[in-house]
Amino acid sequence: MTELQAGQGAQPLEVPRIDARPQRYRDLLVALAAFAVLALLPMVFGSKQLLDFVIRCAAYGLFATSLNLLVGYTGLISFGHGMFFGLGAYGFGLMMQKTGVPIPVAFVATLAMTCVVAVVIGAICVRLKEIYFAFVTLAFQMLIHSTILSWQSLTGGDQGLRGGIPRPPFLGIDLSNHLHLYITSCALLVVGLLLMRQIAQSPFGYTLRMIRDNATRASFIGIDVWRAKLVIFVLAALFAATGGIIMALFVSGAYPEFAYWTISGEGIFINMLGGVTTFLGPMVGTVLLLILNDTVTRITEYHGIVLGIVILFFAVGLRKGLMDFVVEWFAQRRGEGRG
Amino acid sequence: MTRTRKPGISRRSTLALIGVGAATFAAPWVARAQAKTIKIGMPTILSGRVAQLGTSSRNAVLLEVEKINAAGGLAGRQIEMVIRDSKGQPQEAARIARELVNTDGCEMLLDGEASSGSFAVHEVARDLGVLCIHTCSEASSLTADPKQHIPNAFRCVRQGIHDSIVGAGYAAGIAKAKGLKKWATCSPDYAYGRDTTGEFVLYLKKFAPDVEIISESWPKLFQPDYTEVVTKILQAKPQALYSCLWGGDLTSYIDQANIYAMFAQMEVFAVNMADYTALTVVKNLPKGIHSGDRYIKTFPPTPENAAWGDAYKAKYNEYPTNWSWQNATAVMFLSEAVKKANSTDGKKVAEVLTGLTIKCPFGADGTVTMRADDHTLVGYAIGWGTTIPQEPYVPDVKAGDWKAIFELEAEWKKSKGYT
Repeated sequence: MTELQAGQGAQPLEVPRIDARPQRYRDLLVALAAFAVLALLPMVFGSKQLLDFVIRCAAYGLFATSLNLLVGYTGLISFGHGMFFGLGAYGFGLMMQKTGVPIPVAFVATLAMTCVVAVVIGAICVRLKEIYFAFVTLAFQMLIHSTILSWQSLTGGDQGLRGGIPRPPFLGIDLSNHLHLYITSCALLVVGLLLMRQIAQSPFGYTLRMIRDNATRASFIGIDVWRAKLVIFVLAALFAATGGIIMALFVSGAYPEFAYWTISGEGIFINMLGGVTTFLGPMVGTVLLLILNDTVTRITEYHGIVLGIVILFFAVGLRKGLMDFVVEWFAQRRGEGRG
Repeated sequence: MTRTRKPGISRRSTLALIGVGAATFAAPWVARAQAKTIKIGMPTILSGRVAQLGTSSRNAVLLEVEKINAAGGLAGRQIEMVIRDSKGQPQEAARIARELVNTDGCEMLLDGEASSGSFAVHEVARDLGVLCIHTCSEASSLTADPKQHIPNAFRCVRQGIHDSIVGAGYAAGIAKAKGLKKWATCSPDYAYGRDTTGEFVLYLKKFAPDVEIISESWPKLFQPDYTEVVTKILQAKPQALYSCLWGGDLTSYIDQANIYAMFAQMEVFAVNMADYTALTVVKNLPKGIHSGDRYIKTFPPTPENAAWGDAYKAKYNEYPTNWSWQNATAVMFLSEAVKKANSTDGKKVAEVLTGLTIKCPFGADGTVTMRADDHTLVGYAIGWGTTIPQEPYVPDVKAGDWKAIFELEAEWKKSKGYT
């Protein structure tokens, strides 16, 4: 997608409100309500499968929403975003296995490491545009994947990090307990989404939309486009790494598949399903994809065909993601009501 | 007539949705209520490049389960297999394994995953404490590394280290007899390829100290074109070549190397050749390739093994694979252990499985054992022979000596810091 095309598909620019506080309070309230609902779920339903499902939604949801910060908000189609998902999983797993530091320390250290890697890779990639950006990010992803496969003494090669990830309790939270892991994943998801929402709604978020719609104009009014792109690239990497950490905790290990291009492909797929013009589109896409995946793989081993038909339906039939469609439909109805 | 239906979700749809939701969440209780049958879960790879192996695992399991059910089931309970596709992704394997136990009510797991997927399922077994038998992963560290050890997990699979010891002993004999000193290797560039080749070379040099490796090639896994690798080996002019390429990679390699008449210029030792999936797919199978046995119905040369291979072929219209006999053996172990424990309780079955020896068509002496100290399969038929282009493909297989395997394996474990 070129910047021009991205601009055509996007909503017209809204002028940011002068006083953003009420919006912020509303987001906070929604986040608190969402967390409360998620936290109450295990009390209402005893299904462990449901908790597993939400934990996976947290991992993939953070990953896909962070990808949307690049794709939908900045117009940077990254084909290599999965590398940060993998880095998060490996960084955290290795830290816990090798150093035995408390979980919050490993969490912060993993994000710091991801930040450094993302700055280096981002500094090279964000200079490029469109397909060149997409392919160089893909190349870096394959580089990281190959490194994981080859550096056997550290990463275990294609067999992944073996022996489980130790999860010593901290502050009364024991992540080897399924319920504690569930609540922690929900908390990370809600806080992550809230932070990303704040980034998207901030003046910086609007700068990104401007860069997406017309980078030349943005630079003419004094915006350092390269720096803004780099900042969002790094921030998105941090949220993707958080998703990777949740996944590493869920499977109690890290595997090269987490850093493979297929994970990035799934991220793009999720964004196409859910839609890129609304903030919650990727989250809806995540829930849709995981439900589809879990039900279809139960029924048939030809799930590739079913998922392919679904994506065709969205890409060719609807020509937009589900949330884009729903939002437009509501806007239309409201318009009719007024008319 | 005017339409009265209002836009939005109708009452019927709402009721249907509630019904579906209730059914989803009630599933575990329903599953428990039907506990007359015993459910055994199996995540395996049924799509993608190695789907053929996953399918052959499923076939073998179903073949054995049918026999057990016909004979009255496990401690009087009919077995119901719940087999799902993990697509070879470890996160999917972990999710499916958890779902099989937590939601579908499976009381045991057969883990039909390869490589990383098996380690992911192993962690699920550690977490949930469910009885789990790995049936496809050949990675030695899965059971050799004491960090991996859990009382409820077993591995019913051949191992890379066993193959390397037997293969190197066999190759050293031929190297001495024919004066093969210059060797080349060509194996896939990932942990299995590097480990297995490293171990083979280590033991080959131990048994035949004159041997020298003059060329190494590490093609990528699933590489389509081997021209570069073949010409590199031909230029180095080795007297012998070792390869642990497998499946489609091995058949593509042989087809491409045939164009250069490579097999007439050197002795080739391909550990994974003697598997029907490779033997029947290669266009012109060269005579005289040395290979380890994967699965062939003529080795071990017993009527039981031949009958099993024929029964499988009759039912599925194709020959079994290496994964097939391993999965079948796992079901045989379960059946025998449940009989001895007189219970389907996972803990009791695991206790009986530890150190259990059973009669088995794939045993070197008609029996196989689940070794007590590392919960891994030993005593299975293992040997090397040379190929011919038509059935029985590898007519004369020289059996490996398990006593020698045990001795060298113990040394290897020590060198790795496992004991």
